[in-house]
Amino acid sequence: MNALARRLRDSDLAVGAVGAFGLVAIWEIAARTGLVDPQLFPSPLLAIEMAAARLTAETVGENLAWSLFRVFSGFGLGASAGAVIGIAAGWYRTFGMIARPLIELLRPIPPLAWIPLAIIWFGLGEPSKFFIIFLGAFFPVVTSAYHGMRSIDPMLLRAGQTMGLGGVPLLFRVAVPAAAPDLATGVRIGWGLSFGVLVAAELVAADRGLGYMIINERNTGGSVGVIIVGILLIGLLNLVTDAAIGAATKRWIGRWHGT
Amino acid sequence: MAPRAHLALRRPEWSRGEHPVVNVPFIEISSVRKSFPARGGGAVSVLSGIDLAIAENEFVSLVGRSGCGKTTLLNIIAGLEAASGGSVAIAGRPVTGPGQGQGVVFQQHALFPWLAAVDNVGFGFRNAGLSKRQRRARSMELLRLVGLQAAATKYPRELSGGMQQRVSIARALALDPQILLMDEPFGALDELTRIELQQELLRIWQARRKTVVFVTHSINEALILSDRIVLLAANPGRIKRIFEVGMERPRSRTAPSFNALYEDIWNELSS
Repeated sequence: MNALARRLRDSDLAVGAVGAFGLVAIWEIAARTGLVDPQLFPSPLLAIEMAAARLTAETVGENLAWSLFRVFSGFGLGASAGAVIGIAAGWYRTFGMIARPLIELLRPIPPLAWIPLAIIWFGLGEPSKFFIIFLGAFFPVVTSAYHGMRSIDPMLLRAGQTMGLGGVPLLFRVAVPAAAPDLATGVRIGWGLSFGVLVAAELVAADRGLGYMIINERNTGGSVGVIIVGILLIGLLNLVTDAAIGAATKRWIGRWHGT
Repeated sequence: MAPRAHLALRRPEWSRGEHPVVNVPFIEISSVRKSFPARGGGAVSVLSGIDLAIAENEFVSLVGRSGCGKTTLLNIIAGLEAASGGSVAIAGRPVTGPGQGQGVVFQQHALFPWLAAVDNVGFGFRNAGLSKRQRRARSMELLRLVGLQAAATKYPRELSGGMQQRVSIARALALDPQILLMDEPFGALDELTRIELQQELLRIWQARRKTVVFVTHSINEALILSDRIVLLAANPGRIKRIFEVGMERPRSRTAPSFNALYEDIWNELSS
């Protein structure tokens, strides 16, 4: 308990939590004293009440599960493809020369700009969302993997060579670990972007998921409370998963890399 | 030469007898040259006509100004760079690449930062068909040799520069190479650590019977360590003169013979 208290005191997290709590408190007070119109901007507690009246926990949970399922699978595939292609482009010269211009050409296109095409190609079902989320993860990861590979200290590769490594063993035992910190940064950025485009894609074209839940509430003239709860849920989900990725990164590379 | 007889008495059992220089060459460097294409056509010659024979268990230093090609020569012996002409043979076998019995210690930052000290040392074992436990035991033994068994689980960034270089030496020794190639391994260390590591290296060299080729900027360091000092000149890189250091070890930095040889080398280097 003591150790926990000390860690809380030392961490920025505690300070941040105090700030967030304070903001929520001000919001609650402002709504209750009539400073803002509770019909447009209900207090947090009222919003939850309103949402509870409209939706069951089961519905919310189902939408949440769909969003999570989409983002995990789309991100997983996009990040894996990005890592493999980025690493290969950084390691194999010819492949890099072919792949890099293509990637650079497509990278500036925001994933959301693909939505119309995705709908035409894949329809309104899961594959179109999957595709958009895939793109959100793919580009940050492929770029950072490539840059990680290109900025490996040549000394490390030489050291590996002097121990008899070459080719694929050198790639996997020296180059990939050396590029891991950059790769991890890309994964984290990719996760954030995947999450962002997930909600946007659900707003535009979906029949379930958190994004659908809030836009549907708007379209059917439901309560602002549901929308606010939905938004907060999306933010919270992103916060928690991002923190989990950050913690995992720290655990794997923090000690030797120092971040 | 009087000091040579002296040396023969003081040298360890295995190399007693003739001074190694005149014996069978263990590393044979013949007519090695290296050039790079220059910007705007032509070629820059980094090394030209290098002939050098190094005996088994000999300790040879390469000394010279920046740009004289000493690191390039070391890399060619290591098989990390190809010569533009000529050949290098180790024990009669031509060098075609790294990992042919050459252990290399780099100047710094060549440890794998994602591996703890003990795993850095054991890195090369994975190819050698040992069990995990055997690898660890042998890595620990090598860490003990360099006085770092207590730091086995530390990562490179948690070690001082001197400790990192000790781990580097242990790692280079792990595959039991016949030759230890060292590229200014103590160049980035503070004076005290440097002297400590020089002594350590001599102890290891005498205990493990290695042929050492050692690149350094420091005449002093070369004199403390080497059997022979090869002085290189630049533009193009070539052997200017080879000095025999006939003094017994451990050597005193203040002995008149030490200082006289220092003078000689300095004069040759600055002429």
